[in-house]
Amino acid sequence: MSAPTPPATPQVKALNCPGCGAALTLRSFTQAVTIVCDHCHSILDAQDPRLTILQKFHVATDEDPPLIPLGTRGKIRGTLYEVVGFQRRTIRVDGIPYSWHEYVLFNPYKGFRYLTEYNGHWNDTSILRSLPTVNDGASPPTVTYLGETYKHFQTAKAGTSFVLGEFPWQVRVGESADVSDYISPPRVLSCERTGKEITWSMGEYVSGSDIWKSFSLQGDPPERVGVYENQPSPLSAETTTIWTIFGLFVAILVVMLAAFSTFARNEQVLEGDYTFDTNTRGEASFVTEPFELKGHTSDLELATHTSLNNNWIYLNFALISQNTGQAYDFGREVSYYHGHDQDGSWTEGSIDDTVAVPSVPPGIYYLRIEPESDFGRGKIYYGITARRDVFQASFFGLALLALLVPAGLITWRSMSFEHLRWAESDYAPADSGGDE
Amino acid sequence: MIRSLYLAYGVIVLGLFATAEYRGWSLASVNEVKNVPRSVRDNPGSYRSVYSSYHHYTGGK
Repeated sequence: MSAPTPPATPQVKALNCPGCGAALTLRSFTQAVTIVCDHCHSILDAQDPRLTILQKFHVATDEDPPLIPLGTRGKIRGTLYEVVGFQRRTIRVDGIPYSWHEYVLFNPYKGFRYLTEYNGHWNDTSILRSLPTVNDGASPPTVTYLGETYKHFQTAKAGTSFVLGEFPWQVRVGESADVSDYISPPRVLSCERTGKEITWSMGEYVSGSDIWKSFSLQGDPPERVGVYENQPSPLSAETTTIWTIFGLFVAILVVMLAAFSTFARNEQVLEGDYTFDTNTRGEASFVTEPFELKGHTSDLELATHTSLNNNWIYLNFALISQNTGQAYDFGREVSYYHGHDQDGSWTEGSIDDTVAVPSVPPGIYYLRIEPESDFGRGKIYYGITARRDVFQASFFGLALLALLVPAGLITWRSMSFEHLRWAESDYAPADSGGDE
Repeated sequence: MIRSLYLAYGVIVLGLFATAEYRGWSLASVNEVKNVPRSVRDNPGSYRSVYSSYHHYTGGK
């Protein structure tokens, strides 16, 4: 029995550009369909052993090099890929060119996948193995793939303006394709139509810092500019949750409102009718009989009802504790005017007034009342009612507003983000330039 | 992150609402005066309200 024959040692075949003789590096083995010589910018047929020149193209001297150099390796979703190709593609909208970059990645077992970059926004893209369902009847049109619906964002003619490295298709500078993007952030489905050939791919938004980390690149990724078509909104997912929490808070607030209004003591502790004769001079101040405020520290609501008729009265109040000598000093002006002029009848003010004295501890109190008004306006009749521990509805309104404002702001921010996103689409609102 | 902040903020708002209702807070402007003499009860004119110099509005269209 003879010993098994050892496998043949792999032979590296030297490749040289037939155009300029420069050495070529073939990274994707037999998978490459075209390879570009980065010295003379000839596009060569990688399937042809003679490397036939398919196209030569001119390169501007200010051509930006790829941000991820060819040959760089990095892990995408746990698989090691090598950057083997790079192309710049350009669309024109209203005559303005917009360019993005595509990096061709290769793994011998997994094949090709792509990274795209536009203004600092990155997508990890792979070719779809099955076709999505297109619904052109919707507005905007939608496609469904794996149960997820994608909205049409933009259709444009994309031209290839620069290529470098290896490609698994017959790449040419100057070739163009109709590209339609459908979005469901953070994903985008792209349909590329070249003649009769249609290719669907799916991209998922990734951060530049993740790319830099995956490929161990030096420095920082380019800053993001604007909002990209499938860039996930940092707030859209939060908005629904925020409103759910808001609803919960409102429900709790309503329960608290019901509880406080039900269990508030609302106890009348003073009621008196008084007369202020403005025709007499002299000391007008007087004090009421003492009354007891029970329970915990709470408010005392004073309601004043007057007989004012085109007149005013100012009431200096002092709620004085018999026990401690502490006084709550405040004044209330009540005025009521009415009349008739060329605009019709009018009224101003009210004959009633209500005020809540805050946080009054329990104890025995009396009221000092000092009325003021214009001299010689006759008698003003007024009644005062004091109630202990009265529910203040104004705090319910303030609490509701305090809960509503942040929720509204978050929603507004989220809507602004979506507005910026769609301003770059075929469905840009009329007030947006859409030409950032 | 935002939902946690909003949750904490909402709890504070509800807590303030409950405290305001229980303690009887009010938006009214009231001046607290300490050590008012007992004689005010018998002689109300001896007390001088801090609002007595208030310039009153005599309104009307």
